[in-house]
Amino acid sequence: MMPDMTQHGKAHTEQWTPQQNAPVIMFDRVSKTYGRINALNSVSLGISGGVTGILGMNGAGKSTLFKLMMGKVRPSSGAIRLFGVDPWKNPAPYSRVGFVPEHEKMYDWMTAFDFIVTFARLHGMTRIEAEKEANRVLSFVSLSDVMHKRIGQFSKGMRQRVKIAHALVNDPELIILDEPLQGCDPLARTTIMNVIKELGAMGRTVLVSSHILHEIERITEQIVILHQGRVLALGNSHAIREMLDQHPHKIALECDDARELAKSIIKINEVTGMSFATENKLLIETKHLGEVHKQLPSTIIESGRQVTSIDNPDDDLQSILMYLTGGSV
Amino acid sequence: MSSRMDTIWSRLDRKSTAIAEFTLRQYRTRISTWVVMIASVVALLLVLLFYIEAMNTEIEAIDNDGDSFDNDGDGYPNGQEKLLGTNPDEAEDYPIGVEPDPPEKWINEDDINWKSLQEGQNYVGEDDDGDCLEYYDTSSQRDTNDNGIECDIIITVDSLNSTVVIESDFGVDEDPDEDKYGKEAGHRAFILGIGKFGIVYLLGIFLPLFLATGLIREEMSEGTIHYMLAKPIARGEVLLYRMLGYIGITWPFILAVCIGLCLITGFTGPGDGLFRWSDVPVWMSIAWAAMLVSLVYGTIFCGFGIIWKNGVILAILFAAWELGMAFVTILTGGDSSIRYMSVIGWGMIIVDAGAAVGWPDNWQLIEIGLWGGGHGDENWLGEIAYIPLPGAEPLSAFSGSPNLGVSNWLAFVIATIVLIFQGIMAWFIGQTIFKGKEVD
Repeated sequence: MMPDMTQHGKAHTEQWTPQQNAPVIMFDRVSKTYGRINALNSVSLGISGGVTGILGMNGAGKSTLFKLMMGKVRPSSGAIRLFGVDPWKNPAPYSRVGFVPEHEKMYDWMTAFDFIVTFARLHGMTRIEAEKEANRVLSFVSLSDVMHKRIGQFSKGMRQRVKIAHALVNDPELIILDEPLQGCDPLARTTIMNVIKELGAMGRTVLVSSHILHEIERITEQIVILHQGRVLALGNSHAIREMLDQHPHKIALECDDARELAKSIIKINEVTGMSFATENKLLIETKHLGEVHKQLPSTIIESGRQVTSIDNPDDDLQSILMYLTGGSV
Repeated sequence: MSSRMDTIWSRLDRKSTAIAEFTLRQYRTRISTWVVMIASVVALLLVLLFYIEAMNTEIEAIDNDGDSFDNDGDGYPNGQEKLLGTNPDEAEDYPIGVEPDPPEKWINEDDINWKSLQEGQNYVGEDDDGDCLEYYDTSSQRDTNDNGIECDIIITVDSLNSTVVIESDFGVDEDPDEDKYGKEAGHRAFILGIGKFGIVYLLGIFLPLFLATGLIREEMSEGTIHYMLAKPIARGEVLLYRMLGYIGITWPFILAVCIGLCLITGFTGPGDGLFRWSDVPVWMSIAWAAMLVSLVYGTIFCGFGIIWKNGVILAILFAAWELGMAFVTILTGGDSSIRYMSVIGWGMIIVDAGAAVGWPDNWQLIEIGLWGGGHGDENWLGEIAYIPLPGAEPLSAFSGSPNLGVSNWLAFVIATIVLIFQGIMAWFIGQTIFKGKEVD
């Protein structure tokens, strides 16, 4: 075929009719093994619409789940349907999908604008269409002012936003983001979270993976928890939060005088217990983590003690998993 | 929203230009691209220095028949004495009333004019030094090759069978100009040698080794392949358009190198004209062969990169096989059939066909150079082992015949089709493997 050098789009088009009633994503008892490692174990899922958080620790199978959706790997058993089509055999549904890979590596020598234009053209857009779309998505992720700078000069958060922008260029119905918040500074996190929430509000199906519960909580209430290749829980984050609240949590505080600080903190109603790890380290026990965190800053200021760090030693996801699996983590 | 309902096989042209353009820009940012290109040019320029040096050095004239010597020391060269009927071995016997010739006149006294040779019988040469006239009295004795002309040489050119038969009357031989022949033969040998080995093989292997092996592999190991594969585009297409980008950089480079060398050697090479126009088809066939060969190698090597992360090892093993085939093809001059089992063998057919078109007299030049004018030492069988002229043996080594049993033009076309077919097969196998490959 002669390339259309004019880029005015004279190529022929054939119609591909998507199955209208098919769920956006459908996993039917899908398993994936790498050698003797079971990455996914009989996972069944159906997702259509809204923002869904895929939560799991490293190696839980989040990335494998996404690779299967994106046709990067072949399922060992079971069936996967993306808009009713098997993605391993047919990449056609990707015209309605935007994928943000987890990989750090990007084309650092390209400008953000060039990068997005180039990959927009792989959707079959002409150069002019692609440039128009690139401008749109770059302003959507608030990178318009730096879009002609090389990606290599960008901070982690900006790169992450470029990746998101590139995935939105075809106005996709399904957006998959693999660990989009990893390594970003707080400001970038907020921007990215807002972008994701906005996409959800626009009626798109969004999948976000993370290994940090409170990040996901800020984005969505719909959560899938993966653990050791299985879907451990599936549902509303409030329900999960309630489960969590049945379960004691620890907060570690480091300060100049732990005993003095304890006198002030004991006044918080939700605190159920305290212990002293060292002279300078105070451990607080509570079943209502959020409430304690809310009151903690003012209480510390009132006490007049110098607090150098506040930490949740047991990650909240880990606690959930501990609870859900009965302590097998 | 019709654009979102398109199949992946629509709008190929837009996708192809996008990936090809992207690939070209990516090459520009890679150091390896510049290293391999600059290194090739430097290496070729170094070889070219030897060529220019050789073209500017006078090849020492050899007095094949000893006519410039003065055996008896009377001041007259042997040839002059023989011609005038005096005894070259007796000091007292010398031509009276004749000025002695300078010895140089008798060194290359009778050049072979290969350019004027016609198809069929050519009557050339004369008995400059009188050897033939001196020993025989009757005209039939002076015409042993029986063509009605006394003391001459018959050169029978049969281009159908590519043979040159040389029959000389007794005592008649030619004393060709070593410098003139040597430069012409050396020039052609250089073009064929550098063309077949330096450009078609070495450039044809090294460009893809550095530029094509990682075309998909590097994207896979760096994880950036995800950007390309998450689009509505078949993997076979990605491979094809990446190759298009690869061609976009290697083909102009090969063409530029060949045009550059053609200009330099065309102006500095031997010949009467300002520029050697007859070399142009040869250089162009070298460029075309190298372009096709590097495309086939590139597709194969890119496939090796997809199969295995150390695909470059497979590529080097393959290059070793092709090196062997290159030697077989060059050394047998197109007489081996194992060369059909290679890529390079077909590339060489294109060069040989181009050389046969550009230099139709090439095989005669070789034959005559190997005959050398008819001088030589008698071997133990009593046959004369001719001493080849300088440049004749290298030219003979690097020249070959397409040997497909068809005309040169048809051989050119057939070899081109075979190479393109090899490239398509390599692409097809590569994309089949790529399609079944799990990308992490």
